[in-house]
Amino acid sequence: MVTQLPKTDVVIVGAGWSGLAAAYELANAGQRCVVLERGKWRHTVTSFGAPEEHDELKYARRKEHMIDTPIKTLSFRNNSSETALPMRRLGSFLPGKGLGGAGIHWNGQLWRPLPSDLNMASHYSDRYGEEILNGLSVQDWGVSYDELEPHLDFFEKVCGTSGFAGNLNGDTVEGGNIFEGPRSDNYPTQPMNSSPPQQMFRNTARQMGYHPFQMPSANVTEAYENPYGAQLHSCTYCGFCERFGCGYMAKADPIICIYDVLKNHENFELRTEAHVLRVEKSADGKTATGVTYIDADGREVFQPADTICLNAYALWNVHLMLVSGLATPYDPLTGTGTVGRNYSYQTIAAASVFFDKEVWSNPFMGAGAMGVTIDDFNGDNFDHTDLGFVGGGYISATQTNGRPINYNPTPPGTPAWGREWKRAVRDNYLHHIGLTVHGSSVSVPQNYLDLDPTYVDDYGQPLLRMTFDFPENDRRMSSYVLSKAEEIGRNMDHVVDVGTVNRAAEGARYSVVPYQTTHNVGGAVMGTDPTTSVVNRYGQMWDHHNVFVFGACLFPQNLGYNPTGPLMGLAYWTLEHMKSDYLGNPRPLMDA
Amino acid sequence: MQQFSRRAVLTQLGAAGLAFTLPQAAAAQNAYAELDDVPWFFLTDFEARFLAAFCDVLIPEDEFPSASQAGVVDFIDLQLASGYGKGAGLYMQGPFREGTAEQGYQADMVPAQLIRNFIAGALDQGQDLAIFGAERRESVVREFSEKSQIVGGTDAKMVFQELWSLTKEGYFGDPLYGGNRDYAGWRMVGFPGAHAYYTDFVDQNVRYDAPPKGIGHVPGTNRSASMGASAISRKDG
Amino acid sequence: MRQIQIAALVSVPLLLGIGLTAGAQDFSGGPDIQTLEDRLDNDSTAFNARVQQRPDDDLLELGRLVAMGGAANGGSGMACITCHGTDGHGDGSGAFPRLDGQPGWYLYKQLVDYANGARPNKVMSPIADRLTEHEMEAVAAYYGAMPTGTIPKHGEVPGTELQWGGQLSAVGSAEKGIPACVNCHGANGTGLAPSVPYLAGQYASYMELQLQLWKDGVRDNDAMNVMSSIARKMNENDMRAVSEYLSRVTTEEAQTGPDLAVSE
Repeated sequence: MVTQLPKTDVVIVGAGWSGLAAAYELANAGQRCVVLERGKWRHTVTSFGAPEEHDELKYARRKEHMIDTPIKTLSFRNNSSETALPMRRLGSFLPGKGLGGAGIHWNGQLWRPLPSDLNMASHYSDRYGEEILNGLSVQDWGVSYDELEPHLDFFEKVCGTSGFAGNLNGDTVEGGNIFEGPRSDNYPTQPMNSSPPQQMFRNTARQMGYHPFQMPSANVTEAYENPYGAQLHSCTYCGFCERFGCGYMAKADPIICIYDVLKNHENFELRTEAHVLRVEKSADGKTATGVTYIDADGREVFQPADTICLNAYALWNVHLMLVSGLATPYDPLTGTGTVGRNYSYQTIAAASVFFDKEVWSNPFMGAGAMGVTIDDFNGDNFDHTDLGFVGGGYISATQTNGRPINYNPTPPGTPAWGREWKRAVRDNYLHHIGLTVHGSSVSVPQNYLDLDPTYVDDYGQPLLRMTFDFPENDRRMSSYVLSKAEEIGRNMDHVVDVGTVNRAAEGARYSVVPYQTTHNVGGAVMGTDPTTSVVNRYGQMWDHHNVFVFGACLFPQNLGYNPTGPLMGLAYWTLEHMKSDYLGNPRPLMDA
Repeated sequence: MQQFSRRAVLTQLGAAGLAFTLPQAAAAQNAYAELDDVPWFFLTDFEARFLAAFCDVLIPEDEFPSASQAGVVDFIDLQLASGYGKGAGLYMQGPFREGTAEQGYQADMVPAQLIRNFIAGALDQGQDLAIFGAERRESVVREFSEKSQIVGGTDAKMVFQELWSLTKEGYFGDPLYGGNRDYAGWRMVGFPGAHAYYTDFVDQNVRYDAPPKGIGHVPGTNRSASMGASAISRKDG
Repeated sequence: MRQIQIAALVSVPLLLGIGLTAGAQDFSGGPDIQTLEDRLDNDSTAFNARVQQRPDDDLLELGRLVAMGGAANGGSGMACITCHGTDGHGDGSGAFPRLDGQPGWYLYKQLVDYANGARPNKVMSPIADRLTEHEMEAVAAYYGAMPTGTIPKHGEVPGTELQWGGQLSAVGSAEKGIPACVNCHGANGTGLAPSVPYLAGQYASYMELQLQLWKDGVRDNDAMNVMSSIARKMNENDMRAVSEYLSRVTTEEAQTGPDLAVSE
């Protein structure tokens, strides 16, 4: 027995960054928007206040702000010859729950794509020859950096991003990231401060001929008002950033930055504890008619709408398409179909640098995006000739926290537990920094998403199934960039030892157990060719012209950067075209 | 009325047990005071002794308290009795299959049952850690961590990781949860705790020896309130 | 609001007059150096009192000297104790904030800011201007090491006002975008050394005035303008409510008794 509601102009699935941004823009453009959020209502000020929020066990280990796997999870296997089993416990990635979604517990590392990232396939082919992409399903995005620039800029301003520009309108600026695409404006707030080891990394990197800069950060550094009129305050470097909400209102999140200034708008309605089961299709399948969801009282409700926006977490967007029968699922055997194709992740490695007693790192003084970074080995910023891989990553001396359950670095050769371990932990806790290698992730035909044949979620729907392992390309890339990071570490002063960790080392299969990043991308990629993409370059589904898709599921492969900045640039780009073009004349915006 | 003492149970560790030999560790002896007369919420006495011996191999006593001296067994007891032990955050729908290491937790029982079964299995095969000497204890624990074996119907290597995880959490988590007594873990590394404001000092190359304070820090003291303690009903209740 | 400001400025000249014409100052009040030294055995107190390093006997002696109105190189021309009391409790009027047990680094920074104009104040600026940096450190450590007792409360306020103040202090207001005071000011507003002063037990009228000064932009000496951006979201009711509430909260030390800091 399904309750049918009156039609609304727009229904938006998910109240995270892109869902609330869509609601703001469309509501202010005269569209009546209903936002459906599976999780509960909460507010940054009252839900994330210190000191209760600063509880490592509850939030970082028991993952209180993250999705509950009994309600929603997926199944996983490294390759098609294995049987996928449920990811019973969170580990490798941490999707969010509740109002604000993962935008509450992110770190705030906010980047732009490089211009060459957006046409990765043609760029690498042109420069190195097509063969360099053999075996990979790397694609162009269909949209250029120049087209996205105003939208990337806008989101940075929504977040009050702190940083130091390296390229202003084509002029490179010493001290910033000289590799970045041209920016039309500087960062809205001053760059963050740096700890002593970070200062040392900066000096050493510079001496070695690299170009260090302060990482762009959505941990705001001064009192700031964003374009929507929302207020943010400055970061206290409290060291409880990732996995936690910010009661100081210093980490940009969707609640303070957008929800607070949107909530009373007459065109905005938020329904929490509303779990969307399906997008419903019209009889001829050419459009969607609305969504069916389970409301807070457990009733099945159908919300009709003229336009449907899919703004759930990347993985759940793909899942929704699959269980709704939107477009055609990818079949790895035939290579046909598009939904679930080109799933990729992030390739993480790190050099662990141990200092003598002269250097106090005070790791507990940290912020999610407090980092001194070099981009010299990201994207195609370096010559890939004869290296045997494409892509790269940034190397960053990041100091986010010193929370002792998880943070207890020990030099190479230290036993994993016991007397020596204990001593090594206390000898090194205050004198260490990690150099993160944040590597890109190429798409290959054998990594994909589909539906599991055996396991179901709490609503009786089949789990999403993830088939993924690190491609050879990325193993070679990771090893190369990590060697550069290690070299910088060894060149710093007062260093007594350097260890390394490489998730994509030769012989190390991808595991869902250790945390890496919450950067699951692809599965509903954007492009200009409907045989290899789910949405066109405006984020509009080829098969259903009134369905617009947002989030990192659109990425054809992953960049060497955290995805939030690029995906929000795409979101505002899509919204611009919805407002100025689509809504006045609903139709496919691109020919196939 | 039978008097119950956690400390009495945990001190039955024989040679190289809870030696309390070092002065700094003496402070942690008071750690039992709050929960000492409270029966275990989940564990049996044998399980508690076993865990104390096990965890003290992982984090032994030196200038700083051992795991059990810092309240790790109290912490694990509370965890197994509460959400974590009962399977919070675990998808427990079947069918259950043995997976690859990359697929993570696939046991068909929740952590409380898992650990209970493991300990029972270990005791059954004569590995009563509490009565062994230090060397033998360490070698048995090492075997659990390295050797593929089924103990009490559980994957010993996987249970080892679960217990190691709990040990670190108990040693370094906020004292509210029953471990990290008197901030033993935080004092050892120099972590100031839940109250954090570092804007003025983040760029300074200085020692910052703020005494630790947890979420439930008792004002004017060097201690924190503890969840287990607040759950106490007194002896003659 | 305006009345309080004027009252503060008016009462000082009166006290100055009294100070200059009276006979010998009464130095007998307040804790002696040995007591303060002993208090520093407690880790928390030592960390709270330190400015650049852990205070020793000499620094505390110098601090006491400065507080009494004299110092090797001329001093401030004004004894701290005249307005702030020998025990740091102020004079009961609320015109002068209590200093006892405030973080030493915070007190030191205020003196530096008074002197360089970052925190303009007609009374304190000329006083601070005459102190050397070492004297500032000394007197800050001296007051920082002091025990914090309770002070008499002022007047009656409606329970609803205290309730609202308590909410703002502990939880903040999602509606107004005001983060809870305790985020930075420590549990129950009892301070977070070294940077953040305690509000618990501070004079309500003083705190209310400061909030207004933050809002007006007259006081602007906090890192990154946090206080002004927060104060701008508060109206007069909010400021009064939170100040009245916090003035009634006992300081950390007073919650368990004055002797505790010495014993272990």
